[in-house]
Amino acid sequence: MGAQPLPADSNVASGVWWLVASEDRNIVVSEGANATLAIFDAEGAVDVNIDIMAGAELRLLHLVTSHSAAQIAIAVAEGGVCRATEIVVAPSDTRVVASLVGRDARFELGGAFILTDEDNASVTVDVNHMVADCTSRTSYKGVASGKAHGSFSGLVYVAPNAQHTDSEQLSRNITIGDARIETLPQLEIYADDVKCSHGATVGQMDSDAVLYMRQRGLDLATAKRLQIEGFVDDVILHSSVESCVELVTEVVAEKLNRL
Amino acid sequence: MLKVENLHASVGDKEILKGINLEVKAGEVHAIMGPNGSGKSTLASVLAGNEKFTVTAGSVEFEGEDLLKLPIEDRARRGLFLGFQYPVEIPGVTMANFMKIAVNEQRKHRGLEPLTAAEYLKMMREKSAIVELDSKLTSRAVNEGFSGGEKKKNEIFQMAMLEPKLAILDETDSGLDIDALRIVATGVTRLKREDNATVVITHYQRLLDYIVPDYVHVLYKGRIIYTGDKTLALKLEKEGYDWLINDYREE
Repeated sequence: MGAQPLPADSNVASGVWWLVASEDRNIVVSEGANATLAIFDAEGAVDVNIDIMAGAELRLLHLVTSHSAAQIAIAVAEGGVCRATEIVVAPSDTRVVASLVGRDARFELGGAFILTDEDNASVTVDVNHMVADCTSRTSYKGVASGKAHGSFSGLVYVAPNAQHTDSEQLSRNITIGDARIETLPQLEIYADDVKCSHGATVGQMDSDAVLYMRQRGLDLATAKRLQIEGFVDDVILHSSVESCVELVTEVVAEKLNRL
Repeated sequence: MLKVENLHASVGDKEILKGINLEVKAGEVHAIMGPNGSGKSTLASVLAGNEKFTVTAGSVEFEGEDLLKLPIEDRARRGLFLGFQYPVEIPGVTMANFMKIAVNEQRKHRGLEPLTAAEYLKMMREKSAIVELDSKLTSRAVNEGFSGGEKKKNEIFQMAMLEPKLAILDETDSGLDIDALRIVATGVTRLKREDNATVVITHYQRLLDYIVPDYVHVLYKGRIIYTGDKTLALKLEKEGYDWLINDYREE
């Protein structure tokens, strides 16, 4: 895919990079750069700090396929953009903390966790609007089957001077059978001229849709799987790291086989 | 092809079908009419195999097999198609992908190889033309954002793709303007053959201007209380159901 391992000095210019996060890292995306970074988790707890300098754009993929407790802290400077995708298919405790520290900074995250068997995973996304005129979009989808347990916790913090903040946060979840998902979206707003929305749902499979598909000859398992695929598909298709779409699709398909 | 005898079915404690008798032979078109709440949609659902309903008595034979023993998907694979009154939206699942799986499931049941991509595309093109379905819709998610008319056309498109032996169309005409009604009805008529059969459930006579039935049945309080030919539909349109229901009450 033309990607290169991230150099040790961690000053990132334009280009496509990948990183197996086996130790703490501090990464700086240079001013005005247009970079892509895929982070594959190794097992264990790691902190990755990413500074996106003024006017830079980072497309970020965080793929969690093994036990991990990773924290990714992202600071976005003036006019900077971070477009992130996070896919979690393993027991884990992940945390993304995005701080918009310069005006007109933008943070987008599309995420999905898919949990099966006895997986236990918690996902946290904190977005801090520290200054005025910044935008954030978080959409996280969760699927749990078997005896799995998932939780999503999302906080949008708006500092007192962060006027004209524009923020959306959405958590949508489907549980199958006895699996459990908790979702806790929170807003903490100290500015008065802001546009912040949040929403959360936890539902079951759509039994009408399953019935409809079975009436066309699909067996129960195929119908359920197709529905879940459809549910998480947009996260994958709109994945921020285009060169990894195939890989992510494969990882997700393999996990869906275990539903 | 289909033989329903003394069929009783309930949802929860409530008995809705109270002894249905109906025989449909290959090449025939049957219309089932009746006032609201008479059990028309329940009959369609029970025949299709919706597990929400419990069959408490009676039998249904389809092509010589005990239909009631089979789960919903096996009935579908044997050639039973239900056109839904309220087609379901399935976000993220494209029509093209959905129908490809459905068509190939049915081919597998018939001992045929799956279609190649080229064969499948050709089939979709041909079949979508039958109901004048915009071919762009097949690349969209199933029924998502479709207009009422598009959803019903899409039902008939799926019927065309799956070539069922028996199609049960549950109020496919409801909510359609006259143009969409004509397109849907023409599609159904074009799919009619000597070796298949259609049961249309409808409130309105107007559908039967296009799909001419061999038999018209009136369902009331869970039973077929009257069977006639196509002229019965016209009489019902003019005079309503009261004369029939009154007859039935006196019995």
